[in-house]
Amino acid sequence: MGNAWILAALWVGLALFATLLAIWFKVSTALSEIVVGTVAQLIFGVILAREGLAGNTQWITFLAGTGAIVLTFLAGAELDPVIFRTKWRESLVIGLAGFFGPFLGCTAIAHFVLGWGVRSSWLCGVALSTTSVAVVYAVMLELGFNVTEYGKAILAACFVNDLGTVIALGLIFSPFTFKTLIFVVVSAAAFVILPFLTPWFFRKYGGRVSELEAKYILFLLFAMGGLAVWSGSEAVLPAYIIGMVLAGTVGKDHSLIRRLRTLTFGLLTPFYFIRAGSFVSVPVLMAAPLTLLILFLAKMVSKAVVVFPAVRAHRYDGSSGIYYTLMMSTGLTFGTISALFGLSHQIITQGQYSFLVGTVIASAVIPTIVANTFFLPRHLLPRKEPIVSPAQTAIQPAVVEK
Amino acid sequence: MGARAFQGFQTILVAWDGSPQAEHALEVALSLAASTKASVLVLAVIRPPEPAESAEMNAVLEEARDRYESNFGSMRTRAKEAGVELKTEIAVGHPAEQIIHRAETAQASLIVMGRRSHTVFHRWMLGSNSERVVRSAYCPVMVVH
Repeated sequence: MGNAWILAALWVGLALFATLLAIWFKVSTALSEIVVGTVAQLIFGVILAREGLAGNTQWITFLAGTGAIVLTFLAGAELDPVIFRTKWRESLVIGLAGFFGPFLGCTAIAHFVLGWGVRSSWLCGVALSTTSVAVVYAVMLELGFNVTEYGKAILAACFVNDLGTVIALGLIFSPFTFKTLIFVVVSAAAFVILPFLTPWFFRKYGGRVSELEAKYILFLLFAMGGLAVWSGSEAVLPAYIIGMVLAGTVGKDHSLIRRLRTLTFGLLTPFYFIRAGSFVSVPVLMAAPLTLLILFLAKMVSKAVVVFPAVRAHRYDGSSGIYYTLMMSTGLTFGTISALFGLSHQIITQGQYSFLVGTVIASAVIPTIVANTFFLPRHLLPRKEPIVSPAQTAIQPAVVEK
Repeated sequence: MGARAFQGFQTILVAWDGSPQAEHALEVALSLAASTKASVLVLAVIRPPEPAESAEMNAVLEEARDRYESNFGSMRTRAKEAGVELKTEIAVGHPAEQIIHRAETAQASLIVMGRRSHTVFHRWMLGSNSERVVRSAYCPVMVVH
């Protein structure tokens, strides 16, 4: 499609439709955009032959990539450094267990059961190793655990888990040359300096209509992302860590975060998630649903096997909903970023990409559906103890309990 | 566990979502509270999108908190004029579960809520919060149309 404006209208129109679906069905916009991207590619692929949504057009790739980077930065900026400092030991153990379990388990299953190659199996392990900080946080808010020591430790563990995912993605497939060394040294220096430099810079020049803060953040993300890609790594790795190191300063500037969100959700992430969905091949998924089931079970079982002892080792009660959510949930953002990295670097095929994204979506959606449909959170619902009138009490004084 | 005797309206919980139906429910609750000397607890529930995604969920929480807090301001004035003691709270989660849970912990003697006129398809897909509350609440529920 030669006309960039028509193509842009098509993509933004799809984003608009996806947003409406998200509102109607009360699902996340990210999920809706991925699904719309997949279905739209299927339809437009038939109408416009091979070109379909033209997801590999350069400017779409750029917008989508920027969306992934800024979204990752925002995810990192949500870390609460105070919680992390007070609970770092438990968080590290549980978070690393949550990462290594599915990472090694899914890698092994992909290689030895599904017969995937070594590099594609590692990529599978990375893509399925994530935990959704947001899903865990949502459950915590619902149960009131967000203010407890247990809840705070689990939440910090989720950040550690996702950090494991981005580090693995950034370094496993890196060629480890002199460029890698330069990237690591420059990154380390930047991560130390930025928490001091950024607040000073914002105090001195920020708070103007020229949006200096947004330009500064984008400059940092592009510069460090460019360095990462130059060294053979992945741009989301520095973005997530920059978000984490600036969480105590920039992350607390709600006004700035809101402006970044407007830019991200309004323009960037629709391109990222629709593009991620557009590469999913529905015929491949339908041809081999067993592969999807194997990967889904591999993720769930491998996570449970290691997280359970880790949680118990810190004398936490493993019976709460957070624990199960931690075990089961998968972040759409990091899961799809990993899979898309694999596809764009020819580490995995489009078929393998489809299975990975399918598994990521399934492990994000199925626990939610199961919880909403079959699991009644009895801790929230009252024991049956109806208020009765005095007349009723006289007739029926016995225990009314369920 | 014994059944608890009804001791008149003491705390009336109003489920608030900012809709015209919720507005009507609040009016009814304030009127009832004024005549029965009951207090009113207004509960707004923020439902995160599922599955939640980090940046989006925080945006949803912040936007909803701001909106509900601005709603609560005018409510307090109206309650004061009606001579009713009014408390406001914001919870996060599934609306029906949170309403029932809070009604229990606050020992509410009545839940008043609006009923949205959803399509059959919407009710089939997502269910109706008022129906769920009526089915599971331990105290009387008044559904205002």
